[in-house]
Amino acid sequence: MAQPFPYTYYACSCTDDTTTSSKGAFTRARFSANENDDEEDQTFDPRSPRANYSLFPLENLLYCAECQTVRCSRCVTEEIACWFCPSCLFEVPSSMVRSEGNRCTRNCYNCPICTSPMTVNPLDTQDRLVVPDAASVPGGPFYLSCPYCAWSSLDIGIKFERASNITGQLARIKNGGKVVPTLKERERERDRKREKDDKRHFEESTQPSSSSPLGSIDEDTQEAPNSEETFSDLTAFYKNQISISNNTNGSMFNPHDINFGSPSSITRLMSLYGRPGAKPAKKDKPQSMREAYGSTEGFFEVSNSSEDELIERIRTLGWSGTTSIEQRSNQPPHNSSARFLDDIRPIPTLLRTKQSKRCRSCRNILVRPDNKVSSTRYKIKLLALNYIPRVTIRALAPPPPVPSTSTLSNATALRPTFDYDHLQPSKPTHFLLTLRNPLFDPLKVTLATPSYTSGRINHKVTIMCPQFDVGANTDVWDEALNAGTGSKLRNPTSSMSGSSDNGGMQVEAGKIWEKGRNWTSVIVEVIPGRKPISLPGSFGSPAYQEEELDEDDDVLEIPVFVRLEYEVEADKEEKVGGSMGQKTKKEDAFWCVLGVGRVVV
Amino acid sequence: MASRPSATSRRQVKGEYIETDSGNKVSRKASIAGTANITLGGKTVIQSDVILRGDLHRLPSTKPDGTGIPHAPTAISIGRCTVISSGCVLRPPSRLSRGTYSFYPMKIGDNVFIGHHSIVQAASISSHVYIAEHCVLQPFCIVKENVKILSHTVVPANMVIPSNSLVAGRPARVIGEVGEGWGCTPGAPGEGGRGATVAGEWVEGGELRELVRSIK
Ligand SMILES: [Zn+2]
Ligand SMILES: [Zn+2]
Ligand SMILES: [Zn+2]
Ligand SMILES: [Zn+2]
Repeated sequence: MAQPFPYTYYACSCTDDTTTSSKGAFTRARFSANENDDEEDQTFDPRSPRANYSLFPLENLLYCAECQTVRCSRCVTEEIACWFCPSCLFEVPSSMVRSEGNRCTRNCYNCPICTSPMTVNPLDTQDRLVVPDAASVPGGPFYLSCPYCAWSSLDIGIKFERASNITGQLARIKNGGKVVPTLKERERERDRKREKDDKRHFEESTQPSSSSPLGSIDEDTQEAPNSEETFSDLTAFYKNQISISNNTNGSMFNPHDINFGSPSSITRLMSLYGRPGAKPAKKDKPQSMREAYGSTEGFFEVSNSSEDELIERIRTLGWSGTTSIEQRSNQPPHNSSARFLDDIRPIPTLLRTKQSKRCRSCRNILVRPDNKVSSTRYKIKLLALNYIPRVTIRALAPPPPVPSTSTLSNATALRPTFDYDHLQPSKPTHFLLTLRNPLFDPLKVTLATPSYTSGRINHKVTIMCPQFDVGANTDVWDEALNAGTGSKLRNPTSSMSGSSDNGGMQVEAGKIWEKGRNWTSVIVEVIPGRKPISLPGSFGSPAYQEEELDEDDDVLEIPVFVRLEYEVEADKEEKVGGSMGQKTKKEDAFWCVLGVGRVVV
Repeated sequence: MASRPSATSRRQVKGEYIETDSGNKVSRKASIAGTANITLGGKTVIQSDVILRGDLHRLPSTKPDGTGIPHAPTAISIGRCTVISSGCVLRPPSRLSRGTYSFYPMKIGDNVFIGHHSIVQAASISSHVYIAEHCVLQPFCIVKENVKILSHTVVPANMVIPSNSLVAGRPARVIGEVGEGWGCTPGAPGEGGRGATVAGEWVEGGELRELVRSIK
């Protein structure tokens, strides 16, 4: 997500970044302007590891009028205004989110292989590529397919009878097409199995040496139940246990019989767990509370043989037959252990939210979106760009009209373009720094920057005119009316300055370059530094010999401290009386970082 | 209202762009097929080597009762102040429906920027959308308002990208949200004299009027 040069980031002051993380970098930092010692006594270092977390493009910052400061994503609190599915754009009521989870329960699924949204297609070979549209829904089985990687639910043997309610249908089909029994069916199945187990128990106990007592479990190990099934089995079992112990309490059995943990119950449990020669469990019913045992009760034993089987499967299927960690983590929670591509399930689409945002310190609402999903409007939106000036920088040479316009086009190719990615070291280069005022009051601006940037390569930076005024953001139409006369260029030849690097144009210290209605441009001179070269013999330490540059060490970023002074009418209502002089002075200050380019090293 | 490139008035004979009455700028080096089926909203730029396939439109009405699609259906409609950068291909999406293969119109909103060499077969792209270079928008995908798509993204067919999304990847995934300031243009956007209207100076996702003006 690298931003193309040039760019401007604004520092949110919510984290105190001034703790000296890299002392060396600061030693040379000096202010070219002197009057803000009381404001901030430390230079903002864009290279500090923390800086990444406090720098934002202006568009991403909010402004709290109460606290009179910018607010970034870290110093606001969020409240969910509504939930919606990003794919079908239907709103999901929060009550449903609570009960059904934060996934779309309609027909929205993502590909388990590549995460692309999937489409429901009819299996009809004639209409293979058809996306069902309401008018012509073909019959026949349907399947989910990924338009990006061509994975489809057929790969795991799943077809649907209807094109609607995929979620409901999918919940009832296991991979391979086996139908998942409903809760009732499962209950019946459980009862049936239990009876069978009991019978087997009886048989086993009469011929003790024939098989292990775990025989009843091994029968089911071919198909490991997923966690949801296991859970429902377990809950059914425990509910059953509780009801049994409650029902029988004090009825037709001796109270001491139901005494959990008593010696009698333990002996009964022992017999229950199939000690050879014990009485059949049936006769002992109802038993007191015991633990789940056997697959019908949700107890699943991991045996060595099943592990071996897994390893063997991994061996035969190989890398391509197994899922990646990312794919596994994308799986719905109950299937998060899907090891093989055969086990994978389509992912129900995760819901998205719209959020309101509050200032973290004063709790005022900064952003409140319209609750309707389809609406992109906001009821409240306090943007930083309406409160603090926009600082932009660009090379004095004219840039291409469109970022990276085709080189094929002659008209643009003829125009010289400034190469921000290859700044020449030691060559003084001029940049135009423009401040645009969004406020309705004129600003007095003071800029400050360290004369050398921090980091491995130190660039010399000079703001030619660090103090200047910026006009108020008055009526656009005032400006539009005299647009014909054009902006007040300080030097009319600047129109030709594009042909070469500020050729012909005089860069003077202490003078602004250009000025308009609500903006002012000044020149910044940058002398890109060189890669530090180890002088032979001069520095004894071997650490100094090898100066390897890290990634992005060649990026030229200039921290700039912007201090604003402006006068606001104290009370707009009082103005009627004619006392125009009633004005209060206001001050504001912030750090921003100008990304100028990359230096050739 | 919407003028068609065919009805161009050749004011600047020597320039790269042919400017229409409503201020559309169409490069002479763009290859446009089926101009009758393309509408441009005004102040929209079609740069060089762009391929617009207006010829791929829905066939004229075949219904016996005469109702249905008029005989020159719109294949591509582009809104106001939209920039289609050089080397882009805009091709209306198509699919088999009821046994016949047919094309569906492509709709692009206002203030949409499409970076160079992107291939677009979307069903619709709403306003204030920024698509970086070398992207592929596969057939029938829908991009809602205020979306930023980073370069080299492949948006799979039929994908819906909701508003305020930041999108990247192959296949495309929503990787974040654009800031609340996206598309907001306080004051006079881009106003600021010569050369101030350059990439990076306008509000992200904001109006492209100034950019359009600067393209000559
Ligand atoms: Zn913050
Ligand atoms: Zn959905
Ligand atoms: Zn896929
Ligand atoms: Zn606040």
